[in-house]
Amino acid sequence: MMTGEQYKESLKDGRYTYLDGKRVTDPANEPRLKAAVQAAADVYDSFHSDDPDEFNPIYIMPKSIEEFRERERLLAKGRGDMTLGTTGVILLTLVTAAPELAKLKPVYREAIYEYIAYARKNDLRCAESITDAKGHRKLRPSKQSDPDFYVHVVDRTSDGVYINGCKMHISGSSVGHEQVVLPTKAMRPGEEEYAIACAVPVNAPGVSVIDTTYAPYGEQDPRNFPVSGHRSSPEGFVIFDNVFVPNERIFLDGEVQQAAVLAHSLGLWERAAGVTHGGAGLEREVGLAALLAEANGVENEPHVKDALATLVIHSTMCKAAGEAAMANGQQNEDGILTPSPLYISALKYYKNEFHSKLLDILHDIAGTLTVNAPTFADFEHPDLHNGLEAMLATSTLSAEQRLRLFHYLRDTTADAYGGWSFATGQLSGGGQHAQRLVTMRHFDMQNAKSLARRVLEPAHGDEA
Amino acid sequence: MLTAEDYRQSIRDGRASYLEGRRIQDPVTHPLLRVSVDWVASTYEQTCSAGPGARNPIFDQPATPAELDEQMNFLIEADVTAASTAGCMALINVAPRLAEADPAYRDRLERFLRRCREDDLRVAAAVEDGGELRVVRRTKDGIVLQGAKRHVLGAAVVHELCVVPSGAVSEADADRAIACAVPVDTPGLKIISITTAPRAEDPRHFPISREKSIPDCTVLFDEVFVPWDRVFLDGEVAYSAALADALGTWERARAAATLADEAELIFGLAQTIVEMNGVPDAAHILDKLSKMAVWASMCRAGWTAALAYAETTESGMVVPADAHVYATMAYGRSLFNEMVSYLHDVSGALLLTCPTVADYENPETHAYMEKYLRTMDGVTGEDRMKIFHVIRDLTADHYGGWAKISNQMVGGGLHAQRMATLRTFPSEAAKARARRVARIPEQ
Repeated sequence: MMTGEQYKESLKDGRYTYLDGKRVTDPANEPRLKAAVQAAADVYDSFHSDDPDEFNPIYIMPKSIEEFRERERLLAKGRGDMTLGTTGVILLTLVTAAPELAKLKPVYREAIYEYIAYARKNDLRCAESITDAKGHRKLRPSKQSDPDFYVHVVDRTSDGVYINGCKMHISGSSVGHEQVVLPTKAMRPGEEEYAIACAVPVNAPGVSVIDTTYAPYGEQDPRNFPVSGHRSSPEGFVIFDNVFVPNERIFLDGEVQQAAVLAHSLGLWERAAGVTHGGAGLEREVGLAALLAEANGVENEPHVKDALATLVIHSTMCKAAGEAAMANGQQNEDGILTPSPLYISALKYYKNEFHSKLLDILHDIAGTLTVNAPTFADFEHPDLHNGLEAMLATSTLSAEQRLRLFHYLRDTTADAYGGWSFATGQLSGGGQHAQRLVTMRHFDMQNAKSLARRVLEPAHGDEA
Repeated sequence: MLTAEDYRQSIRDGRASYLEGRRIQDPVTHPLLRVSVDWVASTYEQTCSAGPGARNPIFDQPATPAELDEQMNFLIEADVTAASTAGCMALINVAPRLAEADPAYRDRLERFLRRCREDDLRVAAAVEDGGELRVVRRTKDGIVLQGAKRHVLGAAVVHELCVVPSGAVSEADADRAIACAVPVDTPGLKIISITTAPRAEDPRHFPISREKSIPDCTVLFDEVFVPWDRVFLDGEVAYSAALADALGTWERARAAATLADEAELIFGLAQTIVEMNGVPDAAHILDKLSKMAVWASMCRAGWTAALAYAETTESGMVVPADAHVYATMAYGRSLFNEMVSYLHDVSGALLLTCPTVADYENPETHAYMEKYLRTMDGVTGEDRMKIFHVIRDLTADHYGGWAKISNQMVGGGLHAQRMATLRTFPSEAAKARARRVARIPEQ
């Protein structure tokens, strides 16, 4: 296992990454990547052991609800590190799909499990490289004006393949070690070159990553950015320019009929992670609304109480769906447990559909202090402190507590990180339309229709 | 009339202005505040270049709906302090009522407003209480104020603050029923600014906020002396609510008008990006676009009605119809976030992760970006990048977060806007209709 320092060193491996128009050679000391790297380094340190048989629980592939819950419990101290999260999702994706891929070629399942063993042994972090550039959304990959709009195999030798393409919005790629490349959707006969799944080191020749990040600019007081000042994750625009992939790192190559199984599997785990992170309910958001109402002295106003009830009902329904997703989980042939896709997709859709209103309620209760609360440096300035103290303190919260509350709300819902969260919550794991499609696909419509058809049967008194 | 340069010099008056815990020595050259200064200066440039003798729309008293329309078009395009200044001018409508309390109030107010007009000054509205603001002493020369006002847009870059009670004040709290004009460089006044100006070294990543940023200010009053000549109300609680309402007239009008514009822009961005992505006619895309089209249409209709049904005040000034302004805001703002979520949904995540202009220009990454950001013949990577950058800056970044909440809270927030719509709704006519339909005979 690596220590935090060893992890930071491991990122200086000659990779080609860019940020704000410049090449980055030492992510650990790049001002706007530091927080992301430090978050990952802290996790490395908190799980570190010198015992060569120990490994991070992210590499446990759970085969029962109990194992799943135990893994969650062990990983609780790893929250806040995007690279750990993506590693879990992508490896679970691979093992979930492994039996299906083995039906095509047993070597694919072997390659998957060997890759996981390799990642576990070397304590590596992996990114989910799924979303292609796509070009013209209506055209098939081979009909595009540029054949590279979807990642594909452009050349092969007996030792492996060469790939070209671009994967987009790949979280954490430049501060991890590996990219696991998957086809973004189902492929058809004639599109064999696009049915490619493989693992590529970030520093492989031909890989370039152009990052964007919501991390604050310049020397910012992290107290004004209580979340994004401490943890953030760059998103990579990842270019593969004639990148060689050896055979042992290939999990799918040309079998179009199974290209989708990986995308579906990733979608499921990505959504599950998105909606069940810290529990499917929204207790914290409800608590925040209640605290803000108190902070503004409006907790007894009828319309505020009404708004809180709306939030509580929404949170309860989300939590119920999260529980149902695990209770209705399924196991594949290898015993790997997955949550129910029906409940996960419905939950993601439902949670997201209300999210903009949830924020409106929070903002309406909180008011403009959310966005114009003075900074901590203003609060501490001798010319300003007394005036601000008098302005901000209430009977239940000190001025400093109130300031912290509003800066938290701004950072997480009304600033760069807030904007990123809002858009990403909806888009990661597929947008709303995708959730509807998946939910429909897993709903037992036959059963529903047969229930309905009973009304056409001859009436039998009070039969339901 | 002041030129842009006159304006810049005029705010170098030693005012006590702070940003992130540091005293601002010169707002004109401060790296963040200068974006706001430049925006205000550009409006001065515009009004000044119209030539001597030309009317400055800020100080217009529209007497017809056509004049109102012209003034509103100006205020929508101009910086925010133009609207707050015009709002202050609208206080002339309350002057007759203030005269009931004391004729001196009306005289002083009229003198102050005339001076603003003659000296081409900018005024910020100090309405919302930060805790509270009250008179702590009265002398033969004036009053002394202590407390704070919040969300004073533009305080750091204007000349005068127009202070009014935030709403109705009870008799027990009469010291808070204070309205006055305070020059920004008054001793004891301290302005703390938050800005949405970009902090990136290269502001091209922020196409909107690199130009349109106004400081959102907390103003502390630390034993601030105001001479009687500048006091328009002191203790007469019966008039305390009317001032905030009048001062907010143009703020609300501008909010409704810019909402109509913004709704069209948001729709336009959505339609543009779906065409660039190649899926303008997918069923679920049409579904979302149609919702946005309805929303944009109704916001425009609401603002149009506000102008069409413009009301004439006692002093002969034509103002947009309050009922329609409130309804437009209540409707449009309650759906704003939902519409933004549709915009994000149809754009895809490149709205967040599209690399910067600097990356586009970097020879090591230029070719890759142009190659992979384009989608088809006729859609360049560069154009698509520009659209994504606007979407992000407008709706999913620092400025977008500030604007969303600031606009939502005009008139007190979504709930308050709904209540105001109810209050201004022609209820009697609606009830009469209900009774007629139910064939209840008229009394």
